[in-house]
Amino acid sequence: MRVRSDRLLFYALLPFGGIVVALFALLINVLVDNSIPILEREGLNFFTSPQWRPSETPGEEFYGILAPLYGTIYTSIIAVAIALPTSVSLAVFVTDLAPPRLRELFIGLVDVMAGLPTILYGIWGALVLAPFLKDRLMDPLHTYLGFVPLFSCQPVTGYTVFTAGLILALMVVPFMTAVIREAYSRIPDTYREAVYSLGATDYEAARTLVSMIRPAILAALLLGFGRAAGETIAVSLTVGNSASISACAFTPGYTIASLIANQFANAGLYRHMTSALYAAGLILLVIGLALNTAGLYMLARWRKTRVGR
Amino acid sequence: MDGRRLLDKLFKATVVALSVAVLLPLFHIVGTIIYEGGRTLLEGGLGFLAGPPPLGIGPALAGSAVLVVLTTLLGVPVAFLTAVLAVEYPESLVGRAAKLLSKSFVEIPTILVGVLMYTLIVVPMGSFSALAGASALAVVILPYVYTYVEEALSSIPRTYREAAFSLGLTRAKALVHVFMGIARRGIATGILIGVAKAAGETAPLLFTIGGGTQTYFRGLGAPIDAVPLLIYQYVQMPSEAYHRTAWGAALVLTLLYLAVFVAVRRAVKEVKY
Repeated sequence: MRVRSDRLLFYALLPFGGIVVALFALLINVLVDNSIPILEREGLNFFTSPQWRPSETPGEEFYGILAPLYGTIYTSIIAVAIALPTSVSLAVFVTDLAPPRLRELFIGLVDVMAGLPTILYGIWGALVLAPFLKDRLMDPLHTYLGFVPLFSCQPVTGYTVFTAGLILALMVVPFMTAVIREAYSRIPDTYREAVYSLGATDYEAARTLVSMIRPAILAALLLGFGRAAGETIAVSLTVGNSASISACAFTPGYTIASLIANQFANAGLYRHMTSALYAAGLILLVIGLALNTAGLYMLARWRKTRVGR
Repeated sequence: MDGRRLLDKLFKATVVALSVAVLLPLFHIVGTIIYEGGRTLLEGGLGFLAGPPPLGIGPALAGSAVLVVLTTLLGVPVAFLTAVLAVEYPESLVGRAAKLLSKSFVEIPTILVGVLMYTLIVVPMGSFSALAGASALAVVILPYVYTYVEEALSSIPRTYREAAFSLGLTRAKALVHVFMGIARRGIATGILIGVAKAAGETAPLLFTIGGGTQTYFRGLGAPIDAVPLLIYQYVQMPSEAYHRTAWGAALVLTLLYLAVFVAVRRAVKEVKY
C-alpha cells in the first residue's frame, strides 16, 4: 500500500522534473537549429571575421562574431582582474581580521550587492560612472600614461570597454567573494593555529592559508569570468556598442550579450542576421557552461583534499 | 619596527582598503538613486506612480505586478515540485538530472532565456505578450527557488522523517503534513527571492513583453510594460526628462528590493544568490 502510493507520488512529480530537463534541451535545440543557416553560409569565417555588415541586399550581408567575442573576453578579463584581488581581500578581512560586528555588516552589504537588480548597476554606470570615469580617470591616464597600449587612445565618451569592465567587476565581486570565503573559512582551525604558533604575522598566516585554497581561487576566477561574460544589461548600457577590436581599453566595444540585446529586435529586417545572432547566443551558452563546469569541477576536486574537506 | 612588522601593517592596510573600497560604489549607487529618484518622486507624487509615461510609471508598475504574480504561478510550482522530486527520489534518473540542471540554470545568461521564449512563444503567437515575459522570468527564477526549497527539505533531520513514516504516513502525506511544516521557512524564503528576482530582471524581458505600452494590463496575450525594462529604455534616451523618470523608477525598484532583502534576512542568516 505504502509502496504503491510512493510510486504514485513519484509519477505525479515526474512531469515537473521533466519540464526542467525539457527546457534545457529546448534551449540547446532552438539555438543550434537556428544557427545552422549562418554557419552553412559563412563557415569558419563566422568565428574569424571582425566584420559585422548588415545590408538590404541579402547577397552583401556578412556577419563575423570576432569583435563581440573579443569584447566579451576583454571586458571579462578587466572584470576578474579587478575583482580577484578584491574578493580575496574581502574573504581574508571578513574571516580573519574583522571584529565580529563589522564582519556581519560586511557580509550583509556584500549580499546586498549580490542581489541588486542589474538594471540599477546599469543606470548608475551609464549616467554617473561613465561621465565620471572619462573626466577623472581615462583622460588623465591617457595624457600621462598614453604610451601604455591599454591607455593609448583618447576616450571620446565614457562608454568604453574599460567602463563596462569596471561595472562587471563590481557585479562579480560578491559572487567570487562567496566562493573564496567559503573555501577560506573551511580550512581547519588546526592549520590556522599551527601557522600562528610558529610566530607568523597576520600577513604570513594569510599568505600561507590563501595558498592552501589556490584551486578554489581558480574556481572563483572561472565562475566569475562566466558570470561576467553572460551579463547583458549593465554592459550594454556602458560598453558603447560599437564593433571594434583594439588593445586600448578606452574605445567603445561590443560583447556578445550586448550585441544580442541591441540587434535581436531589428534583426528580422535582414535575411541572415537573426541566424547570426542565434549562433552568437550559442557561443555564449557554450562559453558559460564550459567555464561553469570547469569551475565546479575545480571546487569539487578541492573539497576532496585534506584542507577542503 | 622591523621589516616583517612593516610588511604585516602594509598587508592589513591593503586588505582593509580594498574591502572598504569595493563597498563604496554600493553606497554611491543607492545614495544617488535615493537622491535623484527622490527628486522625481517628490515632484511627480502620486502622478508619477500611477500616471502614464513618459512622466509616470503607472503602466510599467502595474505590468511588473502582473508579471510577478504570473511568474510566481508558473515558476514556483515547477521549482518546488522538482525540488521535492530531487530530495525524495534522489536515486531516480529524472531526479538526478533535474537536480543537476536546476542548478545549471543559474549559469545560462538570462538574455538567452529571453531569446528562447521569443522563439517558442512570441513568434508562434505573432505578438509580444505578458505570457512570454512571465515564462522567461519563470525560467530565470527557477534555480533560485529550487535551491532554497531543496536545501530546506534536505535539512529535515532524519529522525523526523523516520517518525513520520513510522506513523504509517505515505510519502505524500508526510510531505504535506510534516516536511513542509518543518521546511516552511526555507520554502517561503525561496519564493520571496524568486519574487525579488522576477521584479528586478531586465534581460529576459527585452524580446518578450514588448514594453513601451501606454496602457495597463490588457490580457495574457497582449504586450505589457515592466519597471526594469522602462528604466533600460529611458536611460538610453538622449533627453534629461526621460532620465528623471528612469531615476524615479530605479528608486521604486530599489525600495522593493531592499524590503524583500530585509524580510529574507529575518528568515535566514545567510542569503545566497
